[in-house]
Amino acid sequence: MNDSCCGPGYASPAEAIQAPREKLLYSIAIYTGTGIQKPDYLVTIDADPESSTYSQVIHRLEMPGIGDELHHMGWNACSSCHDDASMSRKYLLVPGVRSTNIHIVDTATDPRAPRLNKVIDGAEIKAKTNLSAPHTVHCLGSEIIISMLGDAQGNAPGGYLHLNKDFEIVGRWENSMGNIPFGYDFWYQPRHNVMASSEWAAPNTFMPGFDLEEVGHLKYGRRIHLWDFEKREPKQTFYLGEDGLIPLEVRFHHDPNSSHGFCGAALSANIIHWWKDHEGEWKWEKIIDVENEPHPDWPIPIPGVISVILISMDDRFLYLCNWLHGDIRQYNIEDPHNPVLTGQVWMGGLLGKAPEVNGVKVTGGPQMIQLSLDGKRLYVTTSLFSTWDNQFYPEIRTNGGCMLMVNCDTKKGGMKIDPGFVVDFGQEPNGPSRCHETRYPGGDCTSDIWI
Amino acid sequence: MKSFTITLANRDGATFEVDAKKPLLDSLRAQGVDLPYGCKYGGCITCAAKLVKGEVNQKAQVALNNRQINDGYIILCVARPMSGCTLQIGVESHDRLYRNPFLDPLKPHELKADIATPREA
Repeated sequence: MNDSCCGPGYASPAEAIQAPREKLLYSIAIYTGTGIQKPDYLVTIDADPESSTYSQVIHRLEMPGIGDELHHMGWNACSSCHDDASMSRKYLLVPGVRSTNIHIVDTATDPRAPRLNKVIDGAEIKAKTNLSAPHTVHCLGSEIIISMLGDAQGNAPGGYLHLNKDFEIVGRWENSMGNIPFGYDFWYQPRHNVMASSEWAAPNTFMPGFDLEEVGHLKYGRRIHLWDFEKREPKQTFYLGEDGLIPLEVRFHHDPNSSHGFCGAALSANIIHWWKDHEGEWKWEKIIDVENEPHPDWPIPIPGVISVILISMDDRFLYLCNWLHGDIRQYNIEDPHNPVLTGQVWMGGLLGKAPEVNGVKVTGGPQMIQLSLDGKRLYVTTSLFSTWDNQFYPEIRTNGGCMLMVNCDTKKGGMKIDPGFVVDFGQEPNGPSRCHETRYPGGDCTSDIWI
Repeated sequence: MKSFTITLANRDGATFEVDAKKPLLDSLRAQGVDLPYGCKYGGCITCAAKLVKGEVNQKAQVALNNRQINDGYIILCVARPMSGCTLQIGVESHDRLYRNPFLDPLKPHELKADIATPREA
């Protein structure tokens, strides 16, 4: 492979695994919903163990407005345009899920101190596309699509915002939403001409907080949708029922030839697996079922609430977080029909198994995770969503969130919390903030897709 | 312009004259009151405040369930005053806004308006 001819990312997952170790992390930190009247911001964290500022926030980029609720983010370009030498992984798209503003952040000019390049105004997005509440950002080639969870008034199902490489609004990406009632996360696997999408709820339902009763009133999702990627329309729905209440993060294998995909159903605390069989039919099954746990003060056992899943770049391990229980699990999925639990660590959570880690009181539970390309370091943050944090972990208002690192054994499996890494967002200069999704300048295990 | 006086109980009783036709969030922010907000269409609850006295029209809000409304919460980005009002603002007023849904379930009449059933006599 002649790298000088090539664009961003890596020729293959195998090449990505060989990339240099990440030395900087980007994570968002929020003040929305905390009572601190400051903008949400993007932090740069030093992840180089040789550096004197290792495990510290070394830069903060404030957004222009307040109340955005920064949440997930994505790159302008990834390995999907590796063969396009005119492209580079230069910009991080950082949407505000409440404001619908999309911040375009230049991370290349000075990777340690990202700067704001442009803001796509939420009002413009609503006016031109009747969409709001941006969530997942994926690039496909030089184009960018973002799942938008609502229409301009916060009603489901929303749709997909299409931006060009200059971050101009092209319009709606999808040709049809079919009968899809809700949107959330998505991932595509172009060699199978397929995209998979999951269902949270309408913004007007989930943003104010979680009314459990609304699940029974069918205001939360319980389906996974497969799309005809080229036609940009849904083609098949898996109705998961009680096994798939609130299906959130969607991941295909990184291997572009694989048809295997996975999703974590948060409230049911199950992992759903789908694949294309020898006859070309798409099938699904439940492969992991996290048992509810009793709690002395609760009238009913606590569900795990699987808020995120992640697949290692070599497709051998699946990681999941039980945000209410407080554990992260590692499963070997070399046989994706029969996962084997190979590791587990505890931090925070409502079961009281690890209230303090590395000298920091963990408020919240393991929530968003990001894995190094070589699969050895898993970075974990503890805040889910401002209003839901306030319901389940109200002390997070004064304690803030935190980031920890877990060392992962990629040979035999196994996990151990690194004793030398902790970033306490309770100590931020403007007061306690909450950290959510993390990305690395060179791409990570939830950003890159191969065409 | 028809106007009303808004008193902020937890800002030393500061008073502001506001336009009856404009959302309270816009009127108060224009006069320098620092308030949290998010979606600006009545759907996300970030700007919730507690109405201690007075009346507002907040028909456009879709964020609050009936328990939150009964506890006095209003959504400032869409609520318009119908009388002089006394408010508690900011996160300090959110003491009853959030609950653990597993420990403290809503009764059928306490759900959001679109799915609530009338209270049994």
